[in-house]
Amino acid sequence: MGWEAVYLQQVINGLSLGAMYALLALGFTLVYGILELINFAHFNVFMVSSFIGMMALEFFGLSGQSHILTGLALAGVMAFAFVATMLVAGLLGVAIERFALRPLRGIPGTVGMITTIGISYILFNLVLLTKGAGSFNFPNPMPRVAWTIAGATLDLREVLIWGVALVLMTGLHLFVNKTRIGKAMRATAQDSEAARMMGVDVDRVIVMAFFLGSALAGAAALIFGLYYNYTSFIIGYTAGLRAFTAAVLGGIGSVTGAMVGGIIIGLIEALGGQLIAVRWTDVIIFSILVLVLVFAPTGLMGRANPTKS
Amino acid sequence: MAERETITPGSIGGLAFAFLQKASPLQWVAPHLRAHVGTALAFVFAIAFPLMIDRNDADIDSAANALAFASLALGLNIVVGFAGLLDLGYAAFFAIGAYTYGFFASAQFMPAWSGFWEPFEWLHLVARVHQDGGDLVHFTVSFWLMLPFSAAFAALFGILFGAPTLRLKGDYLAIVTLGFGEIVPIVVRNWPSVTNGAMGLNGVAAPQLFGHSFGINATPYYFVGVGLVALLIFTSTRLKSSRVGRAWMAIREDEIAASAMGVDRVKFKLLAFAIGAAFAGATGTYFVAKLQTATPEMFMFPVSVMILVMIVFGGIGSVWGVVLGAVILQVLQSWFLEDLSQWLHALGRLIGVQWLQHIELVSSIELIFGLILVFMMLYRRQGLIPATRKVRALSLAEQTARVELAAPAPAERVRVLGDMTYRGPGPLLEIKGLTVRFGGLVALREVSLSVPAHSVVAVIGPNGSGKSTLFNAVTGLVAPNAGKVHFAGHPIEGLPPHVVLGRGMARTFQNIRLFPNLTVLENVMIGMHARLHTGAVGALMRLPGTRREEAAAREHAIEILSLFGNRLIPRIDHVVSSLSYANRRRVEIARALASNPKLLLLDEPTAGMNPAETLELAQQIKRLHEHGLAIVLIEHKLDVVVSLADNVVVLDHGEKIAEGTPDVVRRDEEVIRAYLGRSASLRGAAVA
Amino acid sequence: MPELLSFQGVNTYYGDLHVLKDVDYRIDAGEIVCLLGGNASGKSTTMKAIMGVVAPARGDVVYEGRSLKGVSVAERVRRGIAPVLEARRLFPRMTVYENLEMGAYTRGQGAEFEEDLQRVFSLFPRVEERLKQLAGTLSGGEQQMVAIGRALMARPKLLCMDEPSMGLSPVFVEQVFDIIQTINKQGTTIFMVEQNANMALQIAHRGYVLQTGQVVLDGPAGELRENPMIREAYLGEMKVG
Repeated sequence: MGWEAVYLQQVINGLSLGAMYALLALGFTLVYGILELINFAHFNVFMVSSFIGMMALEFFGLSGQSHILTGLALAGVMAFAFVATMLVAGLLGVAIERFALRPLRGIPGTVGMITTIGISYILFNLVLLTKGAGSFNFPNPMPRVAWTIAGATLDLREVLIWGVALVLMTGLHLFVNKTRIGKAMRATAQDSEAARMMGVDVDRVIVMAFFLGSALAGAAALIFGLYYNYTSFIIGYTAGLRAFTAAVLGGIGSVTGAMVGGIIIGLIEALGGQLIAVRWTDVIIFSILVLVLVFAPTGLMGRANPTKS
Repeated sequence: MAERETITPGSIGGLAFAFLQKASPLQWVAPHLRAHVGTALAFVFAIAFPLMIDRNDADIDSAANALAFASLALGLNIVVGFAGLLDLGYAAFFAIGAYTYGFFASAQFMPAWSGFWEPFEWLHLVARVHQDGGDLVHFTVSFWLMLPFSAAFAALFGILFGAPTLRLKGDYLAIVTLGFGEIVPIVVRNWPSVTNGAMGLNGVAAPQLFGHSFGINATPYYFVGVGLVALLIFTSTRLKSSRVGRAWMAIREDEIAASAMGVDRVKFKLLAFAIGAAFAGATGTYFVAKLQTATPEMFMFPVSVMILVMIVFGGIGSVWGVVLGAVILQVLQSWFLEDLSQWLHALGRLIGVQWLQHIELVSSIELIFGLILVFMMLYRRQGLIPATRKVRALSLAEQTARVELAAPAPAERVRVLGDMTYRGPGPLLEIKGLTVRFGGLVALREVSLSVPAHSVVAVIGPNGSGKSTLFNAVTGLVAPNAGKVHFAGHPIEGLPPHVVLGRGMARTFQNIRLFPNLTVLENVMIGMHARLHTGAVGALMRLPGTRREEAAAREHAIEILSLFGNRLIPRIDHVVSSLSYANRRRVEIARALASNPKLLLLDEPTAGMNPAETLELAQQIKRLHEHGLAIVLIEHKLDVVVSLADNVVVLDHGEKIAEGTPDVVRRDEEVIRAYLGRSASLRGAAVA
Repeated sequence: MPELLSFQGVNTYYGDLHVLKDVDYRIDAGEIVCLLGGNASGKSTTMKAIMGVVAPARGDVVYEGRSLKGVSVAERVRRGIAPVLEARRLFPRMTVYENLEMGAYTRGQGAEFEEDLQRVFSLFPRVEERLKQLAGTLSGGEQQMVAIGRALMARPKLLCMDEPSMGLSPVFVEQVFDIIQTINKQGTTIFMVEQNANMALQIAHRGYVLQTGQVVLDGPAGELRENPMIREAYLGEMKVG
């Protein structure tokens, strides 16, 4: 491939990764916008969901990548997998909020965040202990279809990922801008006491934010499995770091920011791996995180202020 | 207003702990000796330990590991527990200490020999290795020399990693430190020339004592560990009860108030990071000397979390608490879980349950850590041994004791408060054209006023007129957009709050900013921070000079508190969050007085007090004034203003609209209009 | 006129600080009642107690004959109490229209919603012009219009206004007070906490004066206007028992 084709390929890869990180970052930022809580557990909800997604696909007897489906069967199976994964993920998020975070609401400082570290640990180790440290082959019933564009390859998988991500992001956008409870969510994030005085049930809004955020993590998890054809107990950490940086880069608390940040981080990962060695990617991402927090804490379009008055 | 006590797991734990305390043999020892006897007992136990158990080397090695983690817990306790900085990347410093020793005590890095290395060979820091291709340098720095050196080197990184976090809120500070904590092992893994990468640095030299190498027997390492932990406990306790420890706790409780009381936030935060990192660096050297190998996996995020769990479990901020937490969790890991697994296997065989027979609890230790963390946060945030203990409540007799306001004799008062009179030329405080904007809102517009020496100036005005902003701008909490502020003849605009305090201007806050979890005495002694000089080294050594200074400071604090009769003295060791509203206001004023100011800024000191209390406080302020202290007072109760103020300044919407003696001002039409509002221009029917 | 809302011996605390001390108010349907007082007098706490953000330690807040003890904030809005908050507190990154929608949150979006919207537009033509603008970009006076409109969207029986004149230029203050009178003539009872005693007493029927948590003066607005003791209460000179 000529170098244009190489870079185009990496851009395609980057956009797919970016879509996944954007979904993961969105879920994280939804909760932060309302509670100003950094929810570490979010990224291991993502990891647990990938196993749920795997089980959903295996439910149809699928395993590995040799089982191909087409047409209506494919659409049906995929729809079921996404719905099931997102539902279970959402419920997991709601349970975490209800039992571990609601009792601590209102306590200033880092108590909430430390608790989410604990929950994250619990999820991580539960999977490690029950499933082991190995990688699992992720069932992928999609046919091997690809197109060549200007020397680069565009896979059906990638089209699916972009499609799903676009549908979900549009759906979220419509939800927070056009529905009653979606607007209540935005209002609560901007001024929760004023929202309460409009009659908004702030508790319910928070539950909804956790449900939606975790469901988006579930979708991102299924995308991860379909894209990489594997899952393992460690993916919450690696993808989580990138999604978290994406949320911070875009401006933590901002929905648009999470989307933009996700795409940017995806592109950086793909192109960075191309230009610099892949093993330094983690350091690059961490450095971006630290630099943004120290020098431009409100991110690209955010309003949350991580600095002390 | 009594609150109903609910039964929670935390309260049950507290009751159990109190019961154990009562049942322990220590209760027969006099209270003031208790700490020393307890420490001695613990030390004796630690020394005797290897002789008591079955001389199993593996067990002694586990104990040595427990000591290493206890050291790490003590270090993190300084950063998180004392200074309130949540460091999630603490293992990085552990790594730095480990690899530094590894580098200088192994065959990892062997440059070519040259004349440059001869003096080092003479000092036994390197050895000359003969090779066919040319002689090489083999680093052989002694373990004992490396201990302090690694500590210092790690401390440098503590400052380096801590510096970017100084302005960040707690959770973001944690994320940045987590970032650094992750970058270090990655760098280690990808720098094989120095660290041998993922394969690990091997062949690290064991320590040598009087020519004998420690070898692989765990016992000598164990005793070194005991020494290390003892040293770190000593350091922690000395620092905690010193000026440095108080400064850290002030920062932890309320950074803004700490700064306003003279604490240099930057310096002390970096100091906490540095000392915490030094503890970890020393421990890293110890750990690697014991293992004789270092791999990147030993220093990753799970290790940082484990130490966090240990201090949360043991009691954040409590020195013995975190040691206990580390020891218990390490014992859990290495002995208890093993035994429990065997027991569960037997049970499984007994009742025929398959999975019980195969369960391996040891590998689930991290799951247990997660569960402990969540459980502690939900039910017992203060840990096993809380850092602040409840002092017994005052008896009914003490509570209803008549307040004696026996005013100390004038000469006595001068001695206590120091000479507060400013004798320089010109006014003590001169403000010219001060303007403060917050975004589009103009909070203060071209405000000028001057406070002559030995005067009382009152600042009054309706809500939102900019009075507190004036205080904030003058003391350096908020940077003015324009204008000049001169104090005692020197310009001070733009200076940080702790410097302004040092120059002699102290303040109180409208909504009371005390350090909630500290005692009355501790709060007032922090007010003296700028007048004392003990630093970290002085705190450690506690030379006679330092001890004199501390004793004098304590005495001074008590004398200032006694200015309020016997309202505060009986409550000296009470945590301020348990005090009544009026008493908290008094403590805040005492804290400001402790800094020996020349000018005292009081922001609504009588708010929330009933008329009797208001009268009492007004009289106390008057007495302070009589001794030469200049005072600027924000106050709403005009009778207080009339009785105290020489001059009154009226602000409205950020502008000065009137100035003069109290009598003149209260009849001023502009002032009345400002308070009661402009009446409408003649239009619209008045409602009957 | 029947009583709409009353405070009966209400005492509130902030920690151990006694904020409201045995406070009694009465607001009859159709009135404009103002609550006056200087700084730290307890005016904001009164508002919070009406809305349900603060619960009285002793005493009762009674609305339409029923105690509001234990009634949630949302339920109070549903029963007809709507707030205009201190310093407006619009949702800054939502449009004017969306802010109005939030005001009607408890009422749904049927035909009544359209009616209420039209009523707000007729009172505040400027608001209709700025429907799609983000609320945070409006001037203080415009925000106050939207804030009042937002509260009216709940079709309240009792409109609680917290310092409507705060931070507004004199021109806007007059406009706002005119509109308050108009709204009242259209049938809404108004309870107004205000620092600007002169303006408030010009449009109110009755008033209460609060000082350090106690009612020190009350009566018809006309009487209060002439009473020199108001000045003393504001300047914190009144001796309270």
